[in-house]
Amino acid sequence: MSNLILTLTVLMVLFCLGSSRLLSIIYLIAFQGFLVSVLPFFINDKITISVILFILVTLLIKSFLIPIFLYFVMKRITIKREIEPIIGYNGSVFLGLIIIIISIFIGNKFNFHINHHNTFLFPAGITTLTSGIFLIIARKKAITQVIGYLMMENGIYLLGLILSNHNLNIIEFGILLDLLVGVMLMGIVLHNINKTFDDIDTTLLKSLRDL
Amino acid sequence: MTDLVLIIIFLNGLLIFFTSIKFGRYLFFSSGIMHLIMTIALILNSQNIYFNSYLKCTYEGLVILSIISFLFLCIIFYSISYLKEIQLSNERIFTGSMVLFLSAMTLVSLSDNIILIWVAIEATTLSSAPLIFIHKSKKSLEATWKYILICSVGIALALLGSFFVVLSMDIKGINCPLTYTDFSNIANLLDKKLLKAAFIFILVGYGTKMGLAPMHTWLPDAHSEAPGPASALLSGALLNCAFLAIYKTNKILILAGLGNFSNKLLIIFGIISIFIAATFALKQSDYKRLLAYSSIENMGIIAFGTGVGGLAAYGAILHLIHHSLIKSSLFLTSQNYLFAYGSKLIDKVGNGIKLMPKSSILFIAGFFGISGFPPFGIFLSEFLIIMGTLKQGLYSVAIIFIMLLIIVFAGFAKYFIRIIFNNYDGNIKIPENFQRLLPQYILLAVSIILTFFTFDFINSYISNIQIYSEVLHG
Repeated sequence: MSNLILTLTVLMVLFCLGSSRLLSIIYLIAFQGFLVSVLPFFINDKITISVILFILVTLLIKSFLIPIFLYFVMKRITIKREIEPIIGYNGSVFLGLIIIIISIFIGNKFNFHINHHNTFLFPAGITTLTSGIFLIIARKKAITQVIGYLMMENGIYLLGLILSNHNLNIIEFGILLDLLVGVMLMGIVLHNINKTFDDIDTTLLKSLRDL
Repeated sequence: MTDLVLIIIFLNGLLIFFTSIKFGRYLFFSSGIMHLIMTIALILNSQNIYFNSYLKCTYEGLVILSIISFLFLCIIFYSISYLKEIQLSNERIFTGSMVLFLSAMTLVSLSDNIILIWVAIEATTLSSAPLIFIHKSKKSLEATWKYILICSVGIALALLGSFFVVLSMDIKGINCPLTYTDFSNIANLLDKKLLKAAFIFILVGYGTKMGLAPMHTWLPDAHSEAPGPASALLSGALLNCAFLAIYKTNKILILAGLGNFSNKLLIIFGIISIFIAATFALKQSDYKRLLAYSSIENMGIIAFGTGVGGLAAYGAILHLIHHSLIKSSLFLTSQNYLFAYGSKLIDKVGNGIKLMPKSSILFIAGFFGISGFPPFGIFLSEFLIIMGTLKQGLYSVAIIFIMLLIIVFAGFAKYFIRIIFNNYDGNIKIPENFQRLLPQYILLAVSIILTFFTFDFINSYISNIQIYSEVLHG
């Protein structure tokens, strides 16, 4: 089951890389958030109440609160599509495939012998993380960059699942809270960028530079 | 129980958003005073901590905490007059974010848990972003967007690095709390390969926040667009916090026998930062950006000194203290200029010595201080770093270091002289006043006092850090 979820997660990554409609990327990242947050159910040996609570909160934040917030930000913005990305959609999907191959290669190099460890977890995490960074670099619209950041956080979350249970749940709530507040702040700034520049194209943001 | 004050300060910050502006100011001031009392109490009795599984008073943490506390008090004093003059429409966002920012930085300086320090550093980004955004101009929007995005992505990499540190323990089948103290105790049992990977991610991640080149691109924008008191706090206190996280991780690496690897990286990043700052300081049109590049340079010097180790590591900690004091005084003074001339461009500013004599004296004094002239502490710290480098036999590195410092000085001298002595026709808008001068006098005076008089407790603190690093570097 966990393998199926991880495969779907990576599939979402490829869909995100190939999609030009901003709204559909938000749906995709919401679904990816859902997949990533239910994964601990199938990986952990012991399901305690604190684990369930943690999964529920992650689910709430990653696949409901953040996407809904981004959806409302999108509604106020007139631009619905990403036009002229820095790297094209077909090229992006192709690069995504290459990233997957490289991640599997790296995953084989690091041989982790941890009890509950799923061998596919590490490559999937690295793929999601790298593709997130790639989205931030290769797209011009500010909202896609926020999605890239979210995808990156999902990848790190997957990598974090490799660690055995360390009882750091209280602090993991802190990570989630930071993520939530961070995306909300980005949304507010994004809204203001849209108001001031009539667009959310980050190439317009170039007045501050040296040389 | 002293750390519980932190929760009160945090709640104060939240409360400011929901109360009247006048009461908000009162909360703003009281938070600073409470923070000072907390810091003094922690210095006197560093064992008195309630959340002792997450927080711990280390020597380096206390040094940074006392810098934060002292700076914040000076900045509050400046802000009284600043807020009167500028008439912000959203003043609650300014005061509230300042207090939240203060509590986040305090959490960084006290936290011992490797994940908690990440949460706290990300919280500093989030709480300081509204400060940059306060004027809602096109430029400040751009600066805020860059700040949030670059720093969040960078810090996310640091989280990955922190996970790798934990993983390096998991792989060996060890189970201990995820604190820096525990990691230091079992450092030589950790997996070496993963620990190296972890350090690279952590250095790049927190290095972004600290302003190390080539991840520094957000820093000049954010520091120049933020209002004066906020840029003073960003430069004087925030960068140190990010350094603290790198420093603590470096300590684990050294104890694990990987000191050569991590120190080399620190030296390389340090030199690159100084180099980038030197090139950009030679051609600058904005005096606040100039000061921001100076921050990049000084962070480079600190990273460099830490990497060299021994005497230079002592110098680096000394440099950190004096840089905070002098740089924040410079940023506060630059706000006086911004008030008077209404522009951040060097060409539109001039004849400071006639029009704003006291601010100009402060500016020149700060300039001498930051360039490393004798009455100020940076002279001593840079001297120690150079001596330490020579002592280690790194002659060529020392020569590059000195050359770069000279170039930075040349760039600064050119522009500072222009600001103070250039011709300027016309009048100034808002003249300087006592309230907006006293904090800078105090900051510079403290820097001089710390250079000439040795206080036992401060000295013992720094040398405790130093003994540690000297033992480590053999």
